[in-house]
Amino acid sequence: MRIRIVSPVLALLLPLNARAQHPALTPHDSAFHALNRLAYGPRPGEVDRVAAQGVMSWIDRQLVPDRIADERLTQRERGLTILDDDRSDLAAMYVAAQRARRGRKRADSAADTLDDNPVVQRGRRLAAQFQELAVVRAALSERQMYQVMVDFWTNHFNVYLAKGADRFLTSDYVEHTIRPHALGRFEDLLIATAQSPAMLFYLDNWQSVAPGSSPRGRRSAWRTAETQARKRTPQGINENYARELLELHTLGVDGGYTQQDVIAVARILTGWGIRRPQHGGDFEFHDWAHDTGEKQVLGVRFPAGHGRDEGVRLLTLLANHPTTLQHVSQELCQRLVSDDPPDGCVDDALAAWRQSNGDIREVLRAILHGPAFWSPVSVGAKVKTPLEFVVSAMRAVSAEPDTTPRLARVVARLGQPLYLHVAPDGYPEREAAWVNSGALLDRMNTAVALAAGRLPGVTMALDSIALVADAEQLIAAVNDKILGGMMSENTKAVIRRQIADVRDPKQATALAIGLALGGPEFQRQ
Amino acid sequence: MTISRRVFVKSGGLALFSLGLDPLFLARAALAVRPSAGPPDRRILVCLFQRGAVDGLNMVVPHGDPIYYRERPRIAVPERDVVDLDGYFGLHPRLAALKALWDAKSLAAIHAVGSPDATRSHFDAQDYMESGTPGVKATPDGWLNRYCQHDREHQDTPFRAVAFGPQLPRILAGSAPTLAIDDLQAFGLKGPQPAARDRLTRAFEELYAGSATGLLSTTSQEAFEAVQTLKRVDPAHYQPADGAEYPRGRLGRAMLEIAQLIKADVGLQVAFADVTGWDTHVNQGASEGQLATRLGELGQALAAFTRDLGERMRDVVVLTMSEFGRTVRENGNAGTDHGHATAMLVLGGPVNGGRVLGKWPGLDPARRFEGRDVAVTTDFRDLFAELLARHLGAGDLSATFPGFTPDPARFPGAIRA
Repeated sequence: MRIRIVSPVLALLLPLNARAQHPALTPHDSAFHALNRLAYGPRPGEVDRVAAQGVMSWIDRQLVPDRIADERLTQRERGLTILDDDRSDLAAMYVAAQRARRGRKRADSAADTLDDNPVVQRGRRLAAQFQELAVVRAALSERQMYQVMVDFWTNHFNVYLAKGADRFLTSDYVEHTIRPHALGRFEDLLIATAQSPAMLFYLDNWQSVAPGSSPRGRRSAWRTAETQARKRTPQGINENYARELLELHTLGVDGGYTQQDVIAVARILTGWGIRRPQHGGDFEFHDWAHDTGEKQVLGVRFPAGHGRDEGVRLLTLLANHPTTLQHVSQELCQRLVSDDPPDGCVDDALAAWRQSNGDIREVLRAILHGPAFWSPVSVGAKVKTPLEFVVSAMRAVSAEPDTTPRLARVVARLGQPLYLHVAPDGYPEREAAWVNSGALLDRMNTAVALAAGRLPGVTMALDSIALVADAEQLIAAVNDKILGGMMSENTKAVIRRQIADVRDPKQATALAIGLALGGPEFQRQ
Repeated sequence: MTISRRVFVKSGGLALFSLGLDPLFLARAALAVRPSAGPPDRRILVCLFQRGAVDGLNMVVPHGDPIYYRERPRIAVPERDVVDLDGYFGLHPRLAALKALWDAKSLAAIHAVGSPDATRSHFDAQDYMESGTPGVKATPDGWLNRYCQHDREHQDTPFRAVAFGPQLPRILAGSAPTLAIDDLQAFGLKGPQPAARDRLTRAFEELYAGSATGLLSTTSQEAFEAVQTLKRVDPAHYQPADGAEYPRGRLGRAMLEIAQLIKADVGLQVAFADVTGWDTHVNQGASEGQLATRLGELGQALAAFTRDLGERMRDVVVLTMSEFGRTVRENGNAGTDHGHATAMLVLGGPVNGGRVLGKWPGLDPARRFEGRDVAVTTDFRDLFAELLARHLGAGDLSATFPGFTPDPARFPGAIRA
């Protein structure tokens, strides 16, 4: 083993021992990189503040979000009624919506839509409000890394807001299933999702029953118009959740499980259902629906005669399976480091996972202390998702979302309608999914509109970048505040040419900012 | 730098002109001598998704079967209104505009087509029809996108695969570049006047040409090429040919824009649009009513499209698809509930038309799926695969429909050999 002698003073200055192996990023560039990747982009002045504080100490603070005051966001959240509704309120609304639907059928009305129904309207409004909340949190929260991780896990355990009852269950899912565990233990998060009504509904497990079982007169009221059309109660197991649990949530697509494993997992989870919405719509284990026979999953025997407990045992087994550790670590590195992360990053995460028994905070710490994260090739290596693009652009110019859902619609138009990814795999992490010609042009238009103060859903004060008559000063300010000093010579030249004949300094500023936000450097993080 | 196919095709056309030959005349002559489509790289597939599950039995009516009338006392299309096709099947009267295409053998229907998966959930069934993998939810991309990934012929044009609507649908999602265009006229940079718009476009073009790397660089080139192309196409001043009248509304506009792009020779190969409003649980209607209104719009849009494209239809196939069909028997609300197999239409020059294709299982309750719905006798993938293979000239389709081996012996025969 080679012993490296580092002076104590130097060790304090360098955030990482990894710096010894790479041309080091400056403290300024490290702060810019961290704020782009672990937050939704820097606000004016923030790079300097984080650099002065030391980027590692900023990361350590971000890893304990409860200790970070978040007054501005709390104020904004107070105005959102959806956070006042608990699950039984939302369940009651679902019942009312279903009743309205049935009422419409009985009335034989020729109306094409339910738009005029107040309950349905309220459901739509709440869904829109919840999408807006995601944008507001990303933009305003001081607990930035926490918001990034909530987004990551919401996407990893994707549900689809527009599928029947999930219109009313998704907000509860994010608030009470994902958020409490986003920096907790993976096993707890997995079990919480497995017994969340939103997931049970989305992947049909609530309908999965042991063949031949019957609810003894307790017919579930969670039937949508679709299941109602069948006019029959569920018969037999439904493999949907079992398959995605193995393929997406835990082991991964090449995780070495067989169709027999999928069936056994589905049988183990029979009876994991949802209480009638009239009774609050919580998770409920239905004895009558559970398959009590013996099962075998991944070579592990689950003896006959067990109930809900064997589901928990299964989830614990899956949460701690080496293949799961590998799969989820890979996804975390892909999110935080690069689309094709180096093996070393995944290895560091794996080691921390084993040592901490799946403590997400420790896994993150390992990735963020590793050389891959701080390698200069990682800086700007990822293309921003539409959400990241819109929110980082707003933060860069000190703009804020207004109280309407319009900004979430901007994100949707750019290709990422929030909570509306239909397939269970969640939004893709790779750049190819986000970079296409139509979307790129839309980003440019969004940037120009934002800079001109014309983007719907935004309130802003553009004076975050001083109005200066001098072109070079303006370019320098835009480079510093928006691109972290990484503006290319070409970009400077183009902006210089474009503002040359613009007399009004306000217009020149807006143009320079619009080009910088819509240009190629700002699409990367 | 490669010369794009579009430029090549265009200069080919110019070369013909310079020889004093009218390409349209040549096309007509070719059509008269050998009524087959142009080379594979000129061929176009237009897919229309009837979201909500169209009632195939009232779209392509089995009026020769008394069971149809027995099961649908209130909503069956009366014999006297049906546009008869072959003595047994007939079109809904609101699709009468398509009868001429049937007679010209460029319209066919496929009946009893659908998914091998038994789901009656719109959500799941649409998902499966778009991913092309019934029963497998985790498939990340759509089959039309996978086709584009594996058949590289057209990859040099940004307009190869276009969805007409605000968002890219699942069927076109994936790693191959595809476009979602909500409004052809609004595609590109926005600006108060054309001059400001052009200036902004040039500025961003210079920014990306000099500062973008990787995928951002290639994609931005495509984007600005597309903007230039559309400027030449000038969608704001488009006049449909031959007095074609598109119906008002989303579908009519989408079909008009598809026709524009086809005529502009921008390399369009796959076009997609949604048609909504088919979930007729209540008061479906018969010759008139809710479903009739929707079918009327569809028929009018298809008729206008074929009229507008004229000779160009020899390279075009339009396919309608829907996630499943509806119950044979009408329900208590004079509507129909979610069923299993449905009917799809294919029309265009290359179509083996004038026939109702597929094996018809009949309406006898004993032959129905789960005793209530029309049984599926054609896996939708066999129809889709046939269109890709025989119309677009696709080779190996194993990656387009993973876990499924398209077998020409099972193709319904929608495309002329």
